[in-house]
Amino acid sequence: MNEIKQQPIIMLENVSKFFGEFQALKNVNLTVSKGQKVVVCGPSGSGKSTMIRCINRLEKHDNGRIVVDGIELSKDTRGIDAVRSEVGMVFQQFNLFPHLTVVKNLMLAPRRVRKTSKEGSRELAMQYLERVHIAEQADKWPSQLSGGQQQRVAIARALCMKPQIMLFDEPTSALDPEMINEVLDVMIELANEGMTMICVTHEMGFARSVADLIVFMDNGEIVESNAPDEFFENPRSERTKFFLDQIL
Amino acid sequence: MSDLTGWWDDYFWSALVILKVFAVSLVMTVILGLIGATAKLSKSKIANILANMYTVVFRGTPELLVLLIFYFGSAITLTAIAKSVNPSIQFLDIPPFWAGALGISLVVGSYATETFRGAFLGVDPGHIEAGRSLGLSNLQTLLYIRIPQMWRLALPSFGNHMLSLMKDTALISVIGLEEIVFTAQMATTVTMKPFTMYFVVALIYLAITTVLTLSVMVLEKYANRHLEGT
Amino acid sequence: MTFDFYLIIESLPEIFGGIGLTLQLLFLSAFLGLMLAVIFLLMRISGRWYLSIPAFIYIYIFRGTPILIQIFVIYYGLPQFEWIRESVLWSVLREPFGCSVIALSLNTGAYMAEILRGGVLGVDKGLHEAGAALGLSARDRFLYITTPIAVRLAIPAYSNDVISLLKATALASTVTLLDVTGVARTIVAQTFAPYEIFLSAAIIYLALTWLIQRGFRLFEKHMSRYVQQ
Repeated sequence: MNEIKQQPIIMLENVSKFFGEFQALKNVNLTVSKGQKVVVCGPSGSGKSTMIRCINRLEKHDNGRIVVDGIELSKDTRGIDAVRSEVGMVFQQFNLFPHLTVVKNLMLAPRRVRKTSKEGSRELAMQYLERVHIAEQADKWPSQLSGGQQQRVAIARALCMKPQIMLFDEPTSALDPEMINEVLDVMIELANEGMTMICVTHEMGFARSVADLIVFMDNGEIVESNAPDEFFENPRSERTKFFLDQIL
Repeated sequence: MSDLTGWWDDYFWSALVILKVFAVSLVMTVILGLIGATAKLSKSKIANILANMYTVVFRGTPELLVLLIFYFGSAITLTAIAKSVNPSIQFLDIPPFWAGALGISLVVGSYATETFRGAFLGVDPGHIEAGRSLGLSNLQTLLYIRIPQMWRLALPSFGNHMLSLMKDTALISVIGLEEIVFTAQMATTVTMKPFTMYFVVALIYLAITTVLTLSVMVLEKYANRHLEGT
Repeated sequence: MTFDFYLIIESLPEIFGGIGLTLQLLFLSAFLGLMLAVIFLLMRISGRWYLSIPAFIYIYIFRGTPILIQIFVIYYGLPQFEWIRESVLWSVLREPFGCSVIALSLNTGAYMAEILRGGVLGVDKGLHEAGAALGLSARDRFLYITTPIAVRLAIPAYSNDVISLLKATALASTVTLLDVTGVARTIVAQTFAPYEIFLSAAIIYLALTWLIQRGFRLFEKHMSRYVQQ
């Protein structure tokens, strides 16, 4: 188990979010410390994706406070782009830019946001491509790669911005089974290097071995959150037990 | 605005002329489009080739040129034929109304051919098979199953074709049809206010195209009514 | 009534002379139209009502009225106003060429704006989110992600629009310009041989159409080289 530093780097306080009449998040409270690995699970429609998308403001929360790395997210956040460059996100659908080669996908943000030079960002990109074990595909188009390869590129792309926090929104749900492990392995390596991670996933094996905290959400609320061993062995709520029965 | 007094009824009647041309051309366009589409989809190689030639030629030729060829060409041909029959005839032509209607219908019809062809291909083959297995003939399948279904798919693009057709009616003034452009030209020589006169023409067209666009929207809703709720 | 091939050969050089003007009208209007289209597109998608509504009105008017009328209003209509006649633009506005280019550009600009908008809307939402998540500003997202993809999506509709523009250039002949159609009309008036001459003109337009389509197909192939085959 990694040593958890007690500095909160993400704080959600009484956060609610509505889509029209429908309440997707109901008074969510969550604190994540630096270096902590959090896995968020729950049935579909429970608000898991909505919650993490509020953290980098891809969705705007309606009530409550969200503080990321000392900056409060609000309507006036002018520096939202700056916040986002510190928070990396990996999507279920990979979302690689189809018109750019793999290496250019990684170079785009460092060049435009951090104003890194072309050579500098290329070096950086190749470094991270090595790290996710895919350097040989650098000059290929995304459409030429398999799902698992594309997702690893997506992870490398997020890492190029050297974020403090990595958010994963069901990163393996769109992958064929035989490719899931190559992506999970990269995520495990990342976890072991001390990255703060929040991961929405159904991969309970991964959760068990990597997470410091497992958060179970249902119907827009956090029902239960606990260390993995406690969570799997002694689920407190009926809803949690029901969910675990279904997926394990 | 006072420049326009006395001209309103001229504009009105000449607007009716273009509406008449539009109506006639619309019918012709639909017929040409259907013929062209079925020809392109048929098994007959000759029909395919002819239909292809039709679309290539008329999609690549300016409407104005088509109108000019039609009107002046037919005048020469008809005059020649008429002269050989009755030497006292000096000049015989197709009235600009019909030459114009046919001309713009041929051009828009070539676009409609492509639209209808695509729409026919979009009709579920299962429905066609069901019709045949019930004993319907080729023609009956076409009329009762394929065309009604094809319409729904063709409607958005065909709506655009209708708008083009409507705007093309303005070109027929060039071959002498006395419609609103002609009225504007006459009014200009009297009032010396060309901007006002032509602006009214533009407004009339805008009003008509607005009505057309709204009608297409209503038609689309109607055609898709069985899909509401899916 | 005979079909006079000799007449075609005789008049070809003259008709060819008209191509110069046709192409000038085409390229100039296409270029200016594209500039206008980009401006009005940005206004349209800006989200600010004082920009998107005027853009909408412009597009609505120029797509809802015939090009012929637009040319007539500018060429015949504007001289009605004294302040136009005395303005610095008068040297352009009194020439049929200038008026035709302006009318054609405004018209094609309206159509192209809608075509580009269709391209922009066709870009996958997820790609915007990925760009946003990386911290790219809205401007950078638009320049480096939206634009390249939208352009590729818009090419088929765009090439159709350029061909429509080519056909619209023929209308310049109604305001005395000697483009291909204008030259043809003059010759027909002299020779009374509409079939031969207009047919030759039609062939020229068909050849130009074919060239334009070829060109765009190559361009589309180049832009699509990253698409999954």
